[in-house]
Amino acid sequence: MDTRFLQGNEAVALAALQAGIQFYAGYPITPATEIMELLAEEPARNPRFAYLHFEDEIASINAIVGASLAGAKAMTATSGPGFSLMQEGIGLAHMTRAPIVIVDVQRVGPSTGMPTLPSQGDVMQARYGSHGDFYPIAFSPNSVEEAYAQTIISFNAAEESLSPVVLLMDGYIGHLYEAIDLDAVNIPPVPRSRPPFGQGRRHFTGLLSRDDVPDTKDSAYYREWYAGYKKEIQIVADKYALFETVPNDKSNTIIISYGITSRIVRELGDAYAYFRPIRIWPSLDREIIEACQGHKKVVVIEMNDGQYGGEIERILKRESVSIPVIGGDLSLSQIVATMREKKVYKA
Amino acid sequence: MYQEELKEYLRFSRWPTMWCPGCGLGIMQRVIAEAMKESNLDHTNTTIISGIGCTGRTAGYFNFDSIHGLHGRAVCLAEGVKAVRPDLNVVVVSGDGDIFGIGGNHLLHSSRRNANLKVIVNVNDIYGLTGGQMSPCTPKGVKTVTSPQGSPYDPFNAQGLITSNAHYFYARSSVWHQPHLKKCIKEMMSWHGFALLEVRDYCIENNGRRLGFKNPHEMLMQIKETYKIKSDLQPGQQLAQNELGIMTR
Ligand SMILES: Cc1ncc(C[n+]2csc(CCOP(=O)(O)OP(=O)(O)O)c2C)c(N)n1
Ligand SMILES: [Mg+2]
Repeated sequence: MDTRFLQGNEAVALAALQAGIQFYAGYPITPATEIMELLAEEPARNPRFAYLHFEDEIASINAIVGASLAGAKAMTATSGPGFSLMQEGIGLAHMTRAPIVIVDVQRVGPSTGMPTLPSQGDVMQARYGSHGDFYPIAFSPNSVEEAYAQTIISFNAAEESLSPVVLLMDGYIGHLYEAIDLDAVNIPPVPRSRPPFGQGRRHFTGLLSRDDVPDTKDSAYYREWYAGYKKEIQIVADKYALFETVPNDKSNTIIISYGITSRIVRELGDAYAYFRPIRIWPSLDREIIEACQGHKKVVVIEMNDGQYGGEIERILKRESVSIPVIGGDLSLSQIVATMREKKVYKA
Repeated sequence: MYQEELKEYLRFSRWPTMWCPGCGLGIMQRVIAEAMKESNLDHTNTTIISGIGCTGRTAGYFNFDSIHGLHGRAVCLAEGVKAVRPDLNVVVVSGDGDIFGIGGNHLLHSSRRNANLKVIVNVNDIYGLTGGQMSPCTPKGVKTVTSPQGSPYDPFNAQGLITSNAHYFYARSSVWHQPHLKKCIKEMMSWHGFALLEVRDYCIENNGRRLGFKNPHEMLMQIKETYKIKSDLQPGQQLAQNELGIMTR
């Protein structure tokens, strides 16, 4: 037993160390800063860990891509404004197949928005934020223990899929304190998969390339490359098809929610079935279809204006009811009021 | 001949390069490779990082582990590589638009942090790859496709930026002054700390012809006539605009 009373952000930092992080690059931002502050203390203890406080998030993401290609496990953490700045770099990581972890502790946007209040407004940005087609893996924890576990899983999935993995935290979980037993989370770290730099003659480029040589005019080759890349990521994603489901044959309504919202939502009681995707991208289409079978109404409750709800409708090919919890006010009474308004509340 | 001598350094299987005939980038690349060879830098101890642009293709033409990253982000990406592989010589080769324009903030801070990177900037006064738009180094008054009335601005002063730091290695050379260029590269490679080298170059197809130059030779001759090597620099003295040299502190 190694029970600790930890904040979500602290759990992420500790888990990164457990997962074998060798490089952290970042720029401070509320509500993610504690992750950086904790890791800033690490180089003094561990000379094999490098840490850099950069001039911005663009530098941070590019630095971890460089470090990753050079053979180190690397991570950065940020929130909405910084996550926006990182998008081009995330695309570079997809193209060069750089395993990295990006933690986004979401806050209310757009723009500087409401910096200290939580949100889930970056769900679609995590999926589609960079330009072009790409196929990211992302996880959404709903507790401090899950933040710890899924940080390690994110490192492992990044390594196995050779792609950037996003841990979609939110300001609530990031700052929530809970007691967790670190020993109970037994996820062995996956070793680095790529040989280190400086011995070979490999070329990594953001251009489409074939055997290290840019090949940028062959559409058929692009399609072949993209299919292979997507398949490789899907295989790894399938290993981590994480979700939680509470079936309820007697209810005509299933509630889908994720992250911290799912914990408030469970207070609605036994009148509903519940489904919570943990691996939020790629979406768990089969599992969601199965869970929703037999339920007339599908209600999606999330801290944004219906972002994942749109995905659910795409997956189910039918209408859902969206309960947006926006502006950082995550309260059961607010949720109940909107559910009443939309006639999906069961007293 | 030079292909045989430099085959460990340059990836000749990719020749011809994507650079236009007569481009100075080929000269710069060969001199870098020669200087590396003479400094015992090779694929076992060195990596090349580039951004985007004509110059940005340099990384891929080196026969080393190399990265061709994003436009403007070569320096910060390289700093990440260096952070986890301090044993490697990390060399950045990129264009004036890439390093001084879009990447200017990273240059400012990496040099201030004295990150142990060797940054070689090709200064062709233009955005070459995208077709000849005004770069931070386009001289005042020079017409480009995005400054049809002539650039209204003074060009970027890299020397001023770099030498504002407590410790620095700043050098300026050109693709005409090849022995000097090689000397600058060799000296920067043995410098411990952040080192920046500006290599004065030209762009015939996307700049020179519009300015009335008929061929690359005419542009090379202009570089030859404009720049003078300054070898007796006193501490604290700055290079004049038409001088080439090395300044360290
Ligand atoms: C974010 C971004 N903006 C714009 C571009 C388009 N672009 C490609 S190269 C380049 C300029 C390159 O100029 P320079 O760095 O001087 O290199 P040169 O081609 O002259 O060697 C631009 C604007 C890009 N690739 N990425
Ligand atoms: Mg240029």
